[in-house]
Amino acid sequence: MFGEYAGLLTEAIFTQNLALSYYLGMCSFLAISRRVETALGMGLAVTFVLTVTCPLNHLLYHNLLAKGALAWIPGAAEVDLSFLMLLFLIGTIAATVQIVELTIEKVSPKLYAALGIFLPLIAVNCAILGGSLFTIERDYTLAESTVFGFGSGVGFAVAIVALAAIREQLRYSDVPAALRGLGISFIVVGLMSFGFLALSGM
Amino acid sequence: MRNVPDPSPTTAVSSGPFVRDGFALRHVKAIFGLSLLPCLAMAVFNTGLQANRAIAAGATPLSDGRSVLLNALGVSPDPASTLNCVLFGMLYVGPLVFVCAAGAGVVETINSRLRQRRPSATWPIFGLLLALTLPPTTPLWQAFLATCFGILFGQEIFGGPGMSFLNPVLLGRAFLFFAYPAGMSGDAPWIAASFEKVDAFSGATPLASVMLGQESLSHTAWWSALIGTIPGSIGETSFVACVIGAIVLLGSGVASWRIVAGVVLGTFAAVAFFNQVGVDGNAMYALPFHWHIVTGSWAFATVFLATDASSAPFSDGGRWVYGVGIGLLAIVIRVANPVYAEGMMLAILFMNVFAPLINFVTVELHLRYRRGYRAV
Repeated sequence: MFGEYAGLLTEAIFTQNLALSYYLGMCSFLAISRRVETALGMGLAVTFVLTVTCPLNHLLYHNLLAKGALAWIPGAAEVDLSFLMLLFLIGTIAATVQIVELTIEKVSPKLYAALGIFLPLIAVNCAILGGSLFTIERDYTLAESTVFGFGSGVGFAVAIVALAAIREQLRYSDVPAALRGLGISFIVVGLMSFGFLALSGM
Repeated sequence: MRNVPDPSPTTAVSSGPFVRDGFALRHVKAIFGLSLLPCLAMAVFNTGLQANRAIAAGATPLSDGRSVLLNALGVSPDPASTLNCVLFGMLYVGPLVFVCAAGAGVVETINSRLRQRRPSATWPIFGLLLALTLPPTTPLWQAFLATCFGILFGQEIFGGPGMSFLNPVLLGRAFLFFAYPAGMSGDAPWIAASFEKVDAFSGATPLASVMLGQESLSHTAWWSALIGTIPGSIGETSFVACVIGAIVLLGSGVASWRIVAGVVLGTFAAVAFFNQVGVDGNAMYALPFHWHIVTGSWAFATVFLATDASSAPFSDGGRWVYGVGIGLLAIVIRVANPVYAEGMMLAILFMNVFAPLINFVTVELHLRYRRGYRAV
């Protein structure tokens, strides 16, 4: 039981890393990785949002949207609302992001300024939506989807912090002018996922 | 007061990373190349030995120009004759080294011309090192491709040797491993001979054969793994040759002893853990420490690849963390990952990704410590 969750956690963090195995959430991954501190803030925000939205969306889907979920209403046993899935998932995510945004603005205005437009944009970050969709597609239980959401968030945070550290160190490198900035970052992300391939298949 | 000589250099620097004492990059690389010689010698001998043994056991020689040449010279595939083994091995190792060095040289020359930088002239060492990590059966075009990919995306694009965050040689090797997995996993024989007509010959590397359950862990087998007369990638079979290389590298200060010690420590801890846990029917869990370090690329990768200065952390503490991480991860991949038999190179590549983060944390901790010190 416990071992299963530990396995799922390592899988979500390392072997099926949202950023480096599925290449989800690339926009914020590349945009917020210039400095380690802000990258860490972004990683923590994503972790929080994923940990909350994955189980929440799991509950929503299985108690409201899935076929037969409304069986307790007389005559509604056959109703299948899963075509509304994307709408509901994004709604939950947007609400959670709003809470995070208000909290960060209050607690750390500096981080809020550094994250800029990308904080509200977590709402439409494909990594977050991907996390929720994976929990539904893979038929996780409520506990499993919580663990998976948390693990995916930590995986994203680890990856973005590592990328930020690499990019800070790249200031001492002699990158061709045409590749400086985003270009070399794309290459670095590709090379990083080479490293993460080490753990695939475990 | 002008009679004190100005210590600053009078000429402007134009390329390469620079080391104190006039101990420049070319000296570092020269010592590095020197330390690779025992491995190269063993590679030449062992490649021939393995192929000749297989042929003596019933395999047929590969039908390419090399066997024609050997026949014409009257060299018989005799495993007992050292000279014949060496000649046979040279015909396989030589072209691999040549092609890898040529690939690295071409890319570096073109790149330095385009960017108007002085070439670092480290490409022969790059090619030699990469060739030694390849199995003898690697097609030459694959070796060429791997070299070009490794040196271009792992080194030149960041501005040359010492500027990259990961080990370019490992990148080339990993590229081959993932792009052409059929010849690279270690399940198929890594011996330069054809096995089409033989059924019962096990040519798998020791690690792969333990993983596949064909256990062959005898005392004599351990001695031959120590000396290096086992199938495997050409340069990495011999533990003894790697130890000689390590003495040269550590003695001259080119490689960090902390990284090597860290890898040994991490390996030991992980092996002790897996030996304790144990899983019935999985021989990898029970494989003892003294077997782990003589098989696969453990010794070679620890000495020559993990200690690459530019892809490892620069602080002493960070090097310990990095080394231990490699040791732990390599054994975890070997034992617990059913897909890959060997985990050493992948583990180093994985830790390369985190080396800049280790640097960042050490610097940050140090700054914090100093600030606290000043406040008191």
